[in-house]
Amino acid sequence: MMLGIWRYLLVVLLVIQPVFGLVESKHTNNWAVLVSTSRFWFNYRHMANVLSMYRTVKRLGIPDSQIILMLSDDVACNSRNLFPGSVFNNQDHAIDLYGDSVEVDYRGYEVTVENFIRLLTDRWSEDQPKSKRLLTDENSNIFIYMTGHGGDDFLKFQDAEEIASEDLADAFEQMYEKKRYNEIFFMVDTCQANTMYSKFYSPNILAVGSSEIDESSYSHHSDVEIGVAVIDRFTYYSLEFLEGIEKDSNVTLQDLFDSYTFEKVHSHAGIRRDLFQRDPKDVLITDFFANVQNVIPDQGKEEAIAAAASKVNDAGENDLFGPNVLNLALERTTRESKNSTDNVTSRWVPHFTKTRQLNGNDFTRVVSSDNTYPRIIAVVTILLTSAVYCLIPRSGTPKPTTKEQRLPYM
Amino acid sequence: MYPTTFKLRKLIGVCFLALYLLLGVPLWYKLTTTYRAPLPIEYIQALHDDRLHDIHMVIPVYLKCDSYKFPDLHKAVQVQVNSLLDTKDQGIPWSLQLMPYDAEKLQDSNNLNGSDYHVVNLVLDEAVGFSLAYDTKETTVFFDDPSIITNDLPFFIAQTLVEHAFELEWSVLSGDERLEVTNSMAISYRPNIHLSISLLTGDGYPVSWEIDSTLKKYFSPLRKFLSPLVNFTVDTGILYYNDLNLHTLNNRQNVTWKDLSHAVDLSELLSMNYFSEAASLNLAIVFPSEQNSKDGFNFINDNWYSFLVPQWGMLTINKYPLKQNSSLTENYLTPIMYQFATDIFQLLGLKKDSQELTSPCITIDSFRRITILQNIHKAEETLWSLVKLTQSFQTMSIPEEVLGNVTEALDLRLQIIDMLNDPLQGGDESWNRALILSNKLVELSEAAFFHGEMVQQNFFPQEHKLAVYLPLLGPITVVTFFGFIRLIKEKPDGKKRHSNGSEKSSEIEGKKSN
Repeated sequence: MMLGIWRYLLVVLLVIQPVFGLVESKHTNNWAVLVSTSRFWFNYRHMANVLSMYRTVKRLGIPDSQIILMLSDDVACNSRNLFPGSVFNNQDHAIDLYGDSVEVDYRGYEVTVENFIRLLTDRWSEDQPKSKRLLTDENSNIFIYMTGHGGDDFLKFQDAEEIASEDLADAFEQMYEKKRYNEIFFMVDTCQANTMYSKFYSPNILAVGSSEIDESSYSHHSDVEIGVAVIDRFTYYSLEFLEGIEKDSNVTLQDLFDSYTFEKVHSHAGIRRDLFQRDPKDVLITDFFANVQNVIPDQGKEEAIAAAASKVNDAGENDLFGPNVLNLALERTTRESKNSTDNVTSRWVPHFTKTRQLNGNDFTRVVSSDNTYPRIIAVVTILLTSAVYCLIPRSGTPKPTTKEQRLPYM
Repeated sequence: MYPTTFKLRKLIGVCFLALYLLLGVPLWYKLTTTYRAPLPIEYIQALHDDRLHDIHMVIPVYLKCDSYKFPDLHKAVQVQVNSLLDTKDQGIPWSLQLMPYDAEKLQDSNNLNGSDYHVVNLVLDEAVGFSLAYDTKETTVFFDDPSIITNDLPFFIAQTLVEHAFELEWSVLSGDERLEVTNSMAISYRPNIHLSISLLTGDGYPVSWEIDSTLKKYFSPLRKFLSPLVNFTVDTGILYYNDLNLHTLNNRQNVTWKDLSHAVDLSELLSMNYFSEAASLNLAIVFPSEQNSKDGFNFINDNWYSFLVPQWGMLTINKYPLKQNSSLTENYLTPIMYQFATDIFQLLGLKKDSQELTSPCITIDSFRRITILQNIHKAEETLWSLVKLTQSFQTMSIPEEVLGNVTEALDLRLQIIDMLNDPLQGGDESWNRALILSNKLVELSEAAFFHGEMVQQNFFPQEHKLAVYLPLLGPITVVTFFGFIRLIKEKPDGKKRHSNGSEKSSEIEGKKSN
């Protein structure tokens, strides 16, 4: 009986939804890309930031197969770690972030700008495993979290290279072009973080950063036993907020944004909403941080049971207009054969010209595929140059003349 | 000897400079510029803007009448069909080619391959009506004598065909609907789909199920039936100590479907990473744990209840836990398989609601055609995205393989369109071949778009290039240019000798005086 009520409830909810003004997201699946771009022990807090986010999205139902975790992964088993195999984000050591199964997709030196861009644009060689790819589609909501050391319009990747805000914007544009997302929520915790989303130009991206241009992003507190800072302020207060969220919570992103104050974060958190079509007031936290699978009560169970029963009881009886396609499928014998349409004698004139004749198939350009010529020319040139160099008379070189050489002319 | 040496040196200097400027610089430029294969941009743009109008899908339909002989009925129906199709704006032009039933030709193909072509069977009856066959591509139109006298029969046939038999084409191609799929329930079409069938139980008691025989008996025929459209691969498995977190709902009163959405945890079943297929559908049969929910799930009233999870699959929740050493029989699994088979049609996008398909054969035939057109559209859009991308990122390389894929894709597109436009074709086999080719077309266009080399230079700034080449080019430039300047500044040999000669004569004079 209760299930019967559900159908009516569904209809009622659909009807009254516009009244409340909550615009529901169109997505059917959620993905998370979590990146810590720094390495070494003293950047412990960045690792803790990203592992805390990982724990949160996993708690809210995003499966590991839909989380891409990029981190240098060099602190849990660092020789300086007083708690080997553990990573904590608080000095009370209440939660071991490394304790449960953590599936790191890109670790150590795999955390590069190239891999990150490849991940977003899905441009890989054929042997890239599926688990390390962002297999999103037009129904995917993606939460992207980045943390590390940054500056004006860039974010360092492991002290070796940096990603520019333009690169990130271009990567998002490529994703948009290929319909690889429904909406993106981009969160970045780094110094001058707000510059990172300043160049975005693709639609349906909501971005939040921890600090303005020329502003540092600060760590929250240090752990005396670990000896370094364990979490950043912006992430700490984001997590504090997210800890109260469950999969059925109605809290919106605006509530999260309102929770960022200068007193807490010690920098000015920035929000970019001009590319995003919905108002953050209408966007549930769970639209990005959780994976809520809609379920719809199935109909026609009785018919299925009846069909199955009739099938089991009267297996031999053929009922062409039966209630289920399986009946048909069972009866239908698939005979595969070649159908020679060539033998058909046509008694009508085709009304349509063949496309190939119409267009002439002239879209291809002739391109010289011979790339070896420039190389051959280069090699020949070098050889010629060396030969000419050897043939130059020695007198041409300005050497100091010796006494013996001078004598015949004197 | 001196004048010759000087000239030779000067000539060599000039040669070096010329070599540097005329050969070295262009060569360096040529070898260091990113290779950008010339894509047929204008052609692809024309495809995107729909300027070519080269698609006009023609579906052959045969008219068969055993009672009367109508020598020109097909022509009359053709006129009616054309005028009916013209009443709506055709997003993608399509038409039916009406032809009289040719027993010899169709008999051959029918004998070999079931019903290859769409046949309209005209049956003399007491009233006018129609019926769509369940298991063949056949439409039966019932007519009476008055309808022949008033000459209404051609219109009846045309209406039956356009608005009923080819309803899917009529609504998608001639309607406001676009070819872009906007179905939030169905997964996007893929030729290969993986089916994962799991049995979950909240306890660790050993369980067995007759899934193998059930699948063979009830699912294999469906697989065969759908095989022209989708190739299914199936795996089955039992998961213990997992009730999808549903026991949390036991303590709650008035559980709604939304509560279930929030409680259910499918994360352990989202295992598409382990299969090579790009898409997967799931069937999960869940039993509660005896320990956590002794009296079963409170919110399920019947023995079991099934739920449709959009773009995921079907979830069957059982009320009562399994006893120790249970075995699930075929009798239990069969209704679930029936339900799943019905849901699969919805999950594949073959139908939009839970209504039963009345004429699956005809629907699948139409769906195949729509899929071919959708694939062509998808490939065109992908190529257009590729063109836009390469236009906006001028430093991005375009490898030769991308051009190769694009060319091949465009060739293939024309090949498919030739097949669609040809009224001589249109049997099952040619639609199947066109579908296979259109899948290849999508594959090729995506291979071109997602080429692995197109990302490398994207974030590589120009000044970095200079930093790399300066240590190499700097020394060569300095040596060549300064050497040449020195050569220019050098005095001619004649002057040198003259000054040397005067020095010599003064020296001789000095010696003599000594």
